Amino acid sequence: MVETVKLTIDGHHITVPKGTLVIEAARQVGVMVPHFCYHPKLKPDANCRMCLVEIEKMPKLQTACSTPAAEGMVVRTATTVVNEAHKSVLEFILANHPLDCPVCDQGGRCDLQDFSHEYTPTTSRFIEVKRVFPKEYFSPLIETQMNRCVQCLRCVRYCDEVMDVKALAPSGRGTMTEIKHFTHHELDCEFCGGCVQICPVGAITSRLSMYEFRPWMLKRADTVCTYCGDGCQITIQTKENQLIEVMSAQGAGRNNGDLCARGFFGYHVSTHPDRLQHPLIRRNGELVQATWEDALEWVAETAIRLKLAHGPNAFGGLIGARCTNEDLYLFQKFMRLVVGTNNIDSSARYGQINGVRALRRVQGTSRWTVTFDDIVSAEALLLVGTNVTETNPITGLKVKEAVKKRQATLLTIEALEPAVGTISNIANLAAHHFSVQPDGFKPAVLGLIKAVVEENLVSQPLAQKAPGYVQAVSEAVRRLSWQAIERATGSSSQSFIDATRSFTRTARAVILVGQGVLRAPDGSGLTATLLDLLLLTGHHGLPGCGVAPLAEENNDQGAVEMGAALEYLPGPSDANDQAARARLAQAWKEELPKGPGKSLMEMIEGARTGSLKAMFIVGENPAGSLPPSAGTMEALQSLDLLVCQELFLTETARLAHVVLPACSYAEKDGTFTNTEGHVQSVRHAIELIGESRPDWEILSALSVLMGYPLEYGDAKEIFKEIRSLIPGYGLLGPAPTPPRPDQAVVESYLKTGYSSGLAERYTLGERRAASGERKDFSLTLLVTQTLFHSGKFSTRAKGLLQVQAEGAFSLNPADGTRLGLAEGDRVRVSNDLGEMTTTVKLQDRVPVGLALFPEHFDQEARRLLRVSTDPATQVPYYKSASVKVEKAK
Amino acid sequence: MMKTFNAWLKTIIFYEILIGMKATLGHLLRYKPITLQYPHEKRTLPDSYRGMLALLRYDDGTEKCVGCDLCEAACPSRVIKVISAEVPGEPTKRYSKEYYMDMTRCLFCGLCVDACPVDALGMTREYEWAVYDKRQLRLNKQQLLAIGDRSFPVREKRLELQHPNVAFFNVAFRQMPPKEG
Ligand code: SF4
Ligand code: SF4
Ligand code: SF4
Ligand code: SF4
Ligand code: SF4
Ligand code: FES
Repeated sequence: MVETVKLTIDGHHITVPKGTLVIEAARQVGVMVPHFCYHPKLKPDANCRMCLVEIEKMPKLQTACSTPAAEGMVVRTATTVVNEAHKSVLEFILANHPLDCPVCDQGGRCDLQDFSHEYTPTTSRFIEVKRVFPKEYFSPLIETQMNRCVQCLRCVRYCDEVMDVKALAPSGRGTMTEIKHFTHHELDCEFCGGCVQICPVGAITSRLSMYEFRPWMLKRADTVCTYCGDGCQITIQTKENQLIEVMSAQGAGRNNGDLCARGFFGYHVSTHPDRLQHPLIRRNGELVQATWEDALEWVAETAIRLKLAHGPNAFGGLIGARCTNEDLYLFQKFMRLVVGTNNIDSSARYGQINGVRALRRVQGTSRWTVTFDDIVSAEALLLVGTNVTETNPITGLKVKEAVKKRQATLLTIEALEPAVGTISNIANLAAHHFSVQPDGFKPAVLGLIKAVVEENLVSQPLAQKAPGYVQAVSEAVRRLSWQAIERATGSSSQSFIDATRSFTRTARAVILVGQGVLRAPDGSGLTATLLDLLLLTGHHGLPGCGVAPLAEENNDQGAVEMGAALEYLPGPSDANDQAARARLAQAWKEELPKGPGKSLMEMIEGARTGSLKAMFIVGENPAGSLPPSAGTMEALQSLDLLVCQELFLTETARLAHVVLPACSYAEKDGTFTNTEGHVQSVRHAIELIGESRPDWEILSALSVLMGYPLEYGDAKEIFKEIRSLIPGYGLLGPAPTPPRPDQAVVESYLKTGYSSGLAERYTLGERRAASGERKDFSLTLLVTQTLFHSGKFSTRAKGLLQVQAEGAFSLNPADGTRLGLAEGDRVRVSNDLGEMTTTVKLQDRVPVGLALFPEHFDQEARRLLRVSTDPATQVPYYKSASVKVEKAK
Repeated sequence: MMKTFNAWLKTIIFYEILIGMKATLGHLLRYKPITLQYPHEKRTLPDSYRGMLALLRYDDGTEKCVGCDLCEAACPSRVIKVISAEVPGEPTKRYSKEYYMDMTRCLFCGLCVDACPVDALGMTREYEWAVYDKRQLRLNKQQLLAIGDRSFPVREKRLELQHPNVAFFNVAFRQMPPKEG
């Protein structure tokens, strides 16, 4: 029971939970108390004095933003005294405020303008010359005009409290206080745009949209960001079909109005001049412009001919997980019914499948059993290989909120060193941090489990319920020696024991699993082992506890749930689940194709050996993502029919026989499913560019020409069909109710399911030499995602290119010294597969022995990578390689 | 009875018509011409005459308009379209890159002139704007500036010289990199 208090505000009686601030209570009865420095996301600072109100029995006016409501309080917000106070505060602010409104981008949505209109006379008693700060260059994307600052410090507090970046600071005193960044060179931060959004005036604005708009001209579309699995709700604002800016309102979506650089500054990708505007068809070896009719008819004819000659299984389909659920659903339906094959895969294959497989195996769910809210209210959080700030920034914010505001215990197993840097570092917040090499995640997790077993922290109910399981796991970890674990992870046994103790103590624990695990060998096995950890500590199945694999692409989760994978039907249900097949056959009025189907790597292999003749590729670029050693280019070139639906002429599209122009997320309607399984609406913000069309429409048109019409009026109709097939699939409201683990599956896992693969899961694997012992110049190269880009897609967003335009080879300064490399040096990086030349960047956060290179600019770096395929889940792994580094001549 | 008689009387003497033509009949007797023989004769216009709109310049020839869009917002009949941007070569300074007025729709209410914070708009005494093709009444920035140039030979000093207090209004910072795109 929450304690409540009763109070009166301007004659309205209201009951609020104890601790509610007067300003919030007033908002609830519809009374707006003017304010600058207050923001619901931030701790009260009460520095601007704008929110003064009269409270009975208090001798002076009080700041509503920092006074908690108390029983029987009588508050008045509109008396003469209060209005006088507002007037004086504003007069002081305006004494120094420039008359910039006509050229200020905040004009029209500025709190200072609004309050001035409401509370001040038009004249001032101040006639002195106004304060003028010398103008300093701030940054390429964020513009400051300090003369307009009202010194509310919201920007500084946001950057520190919410983002944990601490890039901004006030300098100077009194009216001469100015917001600065710490360094002498330009601002270097996460560029989340939070300061731009939170500044109540026009002191911090976006340089990207500067002077292009007035707020009242903008048309808004609430949609979902396309750059990562967090699925932030964004509002795209347009003026005459031009993308002007992106914002996200406080309280909106799963992100609560917070965004990252990609969401805030990456929107220009949709209107890039290189967008494909017409269908292209290959004539005499060249891709030339064609009409939709010609292109589609040619595809349909060729496809029918090939199907007659080689059968449906000579076809393969691959779709990108940036597509909407509607696109994904129709694509798999197209492949299964129109073409008649199970050779379907999506980019969820690159990693997401690993997580889903493990969840389904151990607990029978395909989704998280927790939500973002559970992350925020968790008492212990374990992050394994997530690099969460860079891959899933908003999940990162939830973790930061849990740790910074709610004192959760954070455990991190990351290829990261705690270090102060220009972007936040989750390891800095960790109570227990294990800095490991990319192959050290598993030993570190096993170290934790060993500690659970050896310190007798195994949950008693579990030990009684499943003695066989507990014993098998205990024996498996006892067989591992602490020395071996210490060698593999570089951390002492005591640190594992301490970490485990603080983890098991808590009532609510969440484990986040990132790309470091999911996109590395045996990602599925390690995710299952993490579920073992949760089972052993007794957290598994408790409310607010669970293992959460993070989706990298915005609709990875949707791709799996729509059945865009050979092993899953929509639901997802297993492809050989007879009941599900029957249900689907009834709904589709058609038998589903039999046979196992081919995964991404098998399709490429099939194309190379000639068993696969044709491929439909929608929004995916295997030739550009997989390393050349996988032979994707050659394989795709040998196909008799390659159809690509694309936004740009990618490496894959260049090989196609026909390229069909698809539209981007900004022009689409539909839904995305984010990493926590929340289905959200995507709405178009601009009209279709050129002759481009939504992917589902293209597939629908093709199906008609191929003699098996799948016709829909709009995306909503497809969504209706999805809803009828997947119970409970729909807009689940403001907070999704996560599924509960399926007890039957958990029990069967505890009884026998655990044993398959147990031996492999509980071995340490081979150990690479720690760099201290290395005599040569070798390092482990890890191709990773960075904060400022998402795949190759965002490298066409001009805003993001201003922050990061090229890749750099990041390594630890100690390695730099060892190899005689300084920041900015050109280096030659090579191994037996190839070589590349790039620039060195020294970063404290990169562990010794490791070098990071962003995957977004890996055209050259990919040459050094080798692909291995997971035998169980068919996931291709190609993210790391051992390389030799030397200074380029 | 009386009423019916009055009505009948009014009908036979065409009473309503006489009332309606009272002014005409009055002038018939004491004739004094009031028609101006336009275009040979022209009227003296009052100072507050609201004629053709114009964009103005400062005395050094620079355009006054800062591209704030306020005239566009103020205009009740959507005559104005401002496309604002950063001045090329003058980082952080704002101006109207393009400026259009569709004079076929203008009411000559003057609200735009009132709204302009930098007095960049003026109403001239030009009214001879009859054209054969109404598309000619869609004026661009150059045309509007030209009207201003011929109608307002006396120009104001730059704002910063008039009011030192607003010296830092819309100035360029040349040490800053220009806005891209
Ligand atoms: S911050 Fe607000 S009051 Fe100040 S110049 Fe900009 S719009 Fe005007
Ligand atoms: S820059 Fe904006 S948010 Fe920051 S202190 Fe000034 S007015 Fe407040
Ligand atoms: S990239 Fe991810 S975290 Fe960033 S705004 Fe988009 S959805 Fe949100
Ligand atoms: S005079 Fe009136 S109608 Fe004409 S442009 Fe100005 S505001 Fe619009
Ligand atoms: S109001 Fe004046 S300064 Fe603003 S756009 Fe119109 S003419 Fe230009
Ligand atoms: S909002 Fe209360 S003091 Fe600033």
